Amino acid sequence: MLKLFKTILKTGEATLKYPFAPMPISPGFRGKPEYKPEQCIACGACAIACPSNALSMSANVEAGEHTWQLFLGNCIFCGRCEEVCPTKAIVLSQEFELAVGNKNDLFQNATFKIANCTCCEKPFAPQKEIEYTADLLKQTGMSAEAVEACRDQLQTCADCKRKQSMRATDKVELTGFMQKGNEA
Amino acid sequence: MNEPDKIILPGNGMPQPIKQSEEFQNLKGQLLKDIRRSAYVYRVDCGGCNGCEIEIFAAITPIFDAERFGIKVVASPRHADILLFTGAVTRAMRMPAIRSYEAAPDPKICVSYGACGCGGGIFHDLYCVWGGSDKIVPIDVYIPGCPPTPAATIYGFAMALGLLGQKLKASSHIQGESERVVMRHPGVPVELRVLIEREARRMAGYRMGADIADDFLGILGTKSSEGLEARIQEYLAKESDPRLTEIVTNLCEISTKAIAAN
Amino acid sequence: MSAITETKVGQHYIDALRQRFPSSVLEEEWQTKDQVTVTVKVNSLPEVVEWLYYNQGGWISVLFGNDERSIHGNFAVYYVLSMEGGVKSFVVVRAEVDARTGEFPSVTPKVPACGWGEREIRDMYGLKPVGLPDERRLVLPDDWPDNLHPLRKDTMDYRVRPEPTSNVENYKFVNDACGETREIPLGPLHITSDEPGHFRLFVDGEDIVDADYRMFYVHRGMEKVAETRMGYDEVTFLADRVCGICGFAHSVAYASSVENALGIIVPERAQVIRSIMLEVERMHSHLLNLGLACHFVGFDTGFMQFFRVREKAMTLAELLTGARKTYGINLIGGVRRDIQKFEQMQTIKLCAELRAEVTGLVEMLLETPNLAQRTSGIGRLDPEIARNFSPVGPNIRASGFARDTRSDHAYCGFKNYSMPVRTKDGCDVLSRVLIRAEEFFDSIDYIMYALADMPGGPLLVEGHVYKPHKFALGFVEAPRGEDIHWSMLGDNQKLFRWRARASTYANWPPLRYMLRGNTVSDAPLIVASIDPCYSCTDRVTMIDIRKGKSTTVPYKEIERYGRERKNSPLK
Repeated sequence: MLKLFKTILKTGEATLKYPFAPMPISPGFRGKPEYKPEQCIACGACAIACPSNALSMSANVEAGEHTWQLFLGNCIFCGRCEEVCPTKAIVLSQEFELAVGNKNDLFQNATFKIANCTCCEKPFAPQKEIEYTADLLKQTGMSAEAVEACRDQLQTCADCKRKQSMRATDKVELTGFMQKGNEA
Repeated sequence: MNEPDKIILPGNGMPQPIKQSEEFQNLKGQLLKDIRRSAYVYRVDCGGCNGCEIEIFAAITPIFDAERFGIKVVASPRHADILLFTGAVTRAMRMPAIRSYEAAPDPKICVSYGACGCGGGIFHDLYCVWGGSDKIVPIDVYIPGCPPTPAATIYGFAMALGLLGQKLKASSHIQGESERVVMRHPGVPVELRVLIEREARRMAGYRMGADIADDFLGILGTKSSEGLEARIQEYLAKESDPRLTEIVTNLCEISTKAIAAN
Repeated sequence: MSAITETKVGQHYIDALRQRFPSSVLEEEWQTKDQVTVTVKVNSLPEVVEWLYYNQGGWISVLFGNDERSIHGNFAVYYVLSMEGGVKSFVVVRAEVDARTGEFPSVTPKVPACGWGEREIRDMYGLKPVGLPDERRLVLPDDWPDNLHPLRKDTMDYRVRPEPTSNVENYKFVNDACGETREIPLGPLHITSDEPGHFRLFVDGEDIVDADYRMFYVHRGMEKVAETRMGYDEVTFLADRVCGICGFAHSVAYASSVENALGIIVPERAQVIRSIMLEVERMHSHLLNLGLACHFVGFDTGFMQFFRVREKAMTLAELLTGARKTYGINLIGGVRRDIQKFEQMQTIKLCAELRAEVTGLVEMLLETPNLAQRTSGIGRLDPEIARNFSPVGPNIRASGFARDTRSDHAYCGFKNYSMPVRTKDGCDVLSRVLIRAEEFFDSIDYIMYALADMPGGPLLVEGHVYKPHKFALGFVEAPRGEDIHWSMLGDNQKLFRWRARASTYANWPPLRYMLRGNTVSDAPLIVASIDPCYSCTDRVTMIDIRKGKSTTVPYKEIERYGRERKNSPLK
């Protein structure tokens, strides 16, 4: 019994002061995902990777809008969204004080414009995603003018691209795989 | 005693939550004022993995000591002011949970605990799960987390009792006129940046790898490639972590090869 | 890792099987160097399994069904045996079940350990194990419609929620008591209107004659969602949440089942990190159980102290993974978080503190005056019963069997480390408590060893090519015992079948034998000693077979009675 009392005494003030003092947290603690809509290109990688569908994308094609949504209620704080995001638009913070009274406060969303294909005018991709691609090309060493020159190509949908390559037959080497000596 | 036909059966595959009357809502405000000094909490397990249960245990143990705030866990719903719903409401637990709700005297406050309670969590659309406590009972407070840490639990209770304010607010963003992504490490060629980031993630995981890659690319990104070696050595000496040295050595190899190829 | 060129471990079991049952073995396929699946004629299933079980030192790890009609037109059942005789390996006995009749001979009359597995096959697939004595549902809730079998590929979408068939629980509880017993119908909507009787104790006065229990209130439908909504990497996060106490063990077992199926070699460093986290999980879980043991013998100060110290293990988890529970660091092919200098130093510091504090607490626990009296000889798991039911973990090690996956089928970091296997011969609650205390210190020893000698290299291999219909086992020694998973890969970037068998699943069936012959006040302690994933037992119903009386009391009341030993709720 004496040993027990000694242990209790030695433990002293074990209780943490939180919430009257900040809570000590390990670095790398996975708390609330912090989203920077300015950095988002609405690619949807986070929504695909999210194991609990807390993140979702929905398109309103008539309005030309693509909406990103986070429902913090279903979030499992795994960090897969941070892992797959190409632009670091979503990063987990150390925030853990997330309780709310109204369920709507757990929702966060952002709406982005969809750009149309320059060729067929059908909705193609988020405008910011196309612009990000152009910026990436500049970072590969392409000059700004060269990137501008292929801007239309960047904003052409896959169907139109297919049709375009079929039409431009003068640019295609049709005999490339034929054996030597058989050229007409 | 509750007759079976008074319990609301799910219709079209989804349950209808029990509705609250007007006067009931007013009584709750009164309750909040009264229970500020001591709140009796009854835990209703709606079929969770028990991670939440253990964190609630932890919240009442000496390190976090929720009892400081007068929060006491009680053994019967009849004594409860606050009902704490954990778990994603499995089929088998729907009736027991509703019975506990009915057994607790009015007015009472219902708290949804954890991701499973708030919306079903990772189980939200499974065949044996109704998906969140608010599918069966009216909920007053939601505490997200998977599981919520004991500190988050204490915060949630303090908020439910009106002792602390809510921090989170819904937010909506519409794409701005000239909104454009800020490029990271503009001074480094994209192909090299991608190779470095991938190798760092392969060696140190997504978070630490991203930080190490950022540090490394920062050192690289400065204009001259002279003195690069020296700057890296200085960085490694400061951190003095053999594992970091191993990782950065790999990154150096990659960048040297890439720079030489150009 | 080619199974063809490496020596096959356990080949002699198959050779002996072919000799003993020459016309039964149809096919033999090796998944890894020590996992083999033999397909046998369905009618010889019971004899083959029985022979491997009792004659060759096999134990049933798990058994399950699979809807393989899209592959070859029939269903299949798999009986996974952990062979622990001289040579340790896995032998899976597979049989195809005709899709039209759905019948196959039940193995349970010969091997009692198969009971629960066969009931689950019946629930999930509608197959009929002919000769299975227990006709009741196991897994599906009482209000689930008949003839709707979730895991069949063509029955239902994973999101379908059928209309409840009733609002009344109608599970039938059975007992083996001799003499006259009366079936006392206890409607679930009892006057005190709380949970229905999850435990039914059949008593004679204060003595427990038999017990029955209804589990699976937490059945969510995870195996189906893993085949439908989720990709391979997401299932690791789902597996983390099978259990909130030993979730990481499930995550590793699942990841390694897919890795074994594809022959993926996980980098050394990742394997060691996985092992370290598995031991951290064991530490927090055993401290939890030791705390609860204190609570049930009435030593609540001990409970608080154990939980106080346990917080250090939780902080350690948060430091190493970013979360106190649900670590979420596994991916197929490795881990996604490193252990660097800061983490290493903090871990060493925390482990030293844990070792010092827990040593003192365990000493105190063992010196508690009434501990021996309350736990010695209580809740006895007879070795013969144990051999019949294949329980796992400290539960079976306390009955003298040296079963521990870390040494029987070494995985991850334990392949290069001789983990001591702690056994006792007491077969009682005290032995289990002592084993858990010893294992706690073994875990700290391992973590210190692993940190001192961490291999370098990457954490992850990626870019796997998933081959449809390849399958294998993954297994881990969770705090409660062996967790075993089986995965069959699909042809659409998703699993075809995932079977996750938690350790407590194997420990529940023999529990009724452990309760027999003890008193009611010992029941909570005995249940806690198998360390169940904190069950939803809110009510316990006691049926006095001699007096013909039944009393339903809240579980907390039984707990209180267990601690105070006064004012029996039966009076």
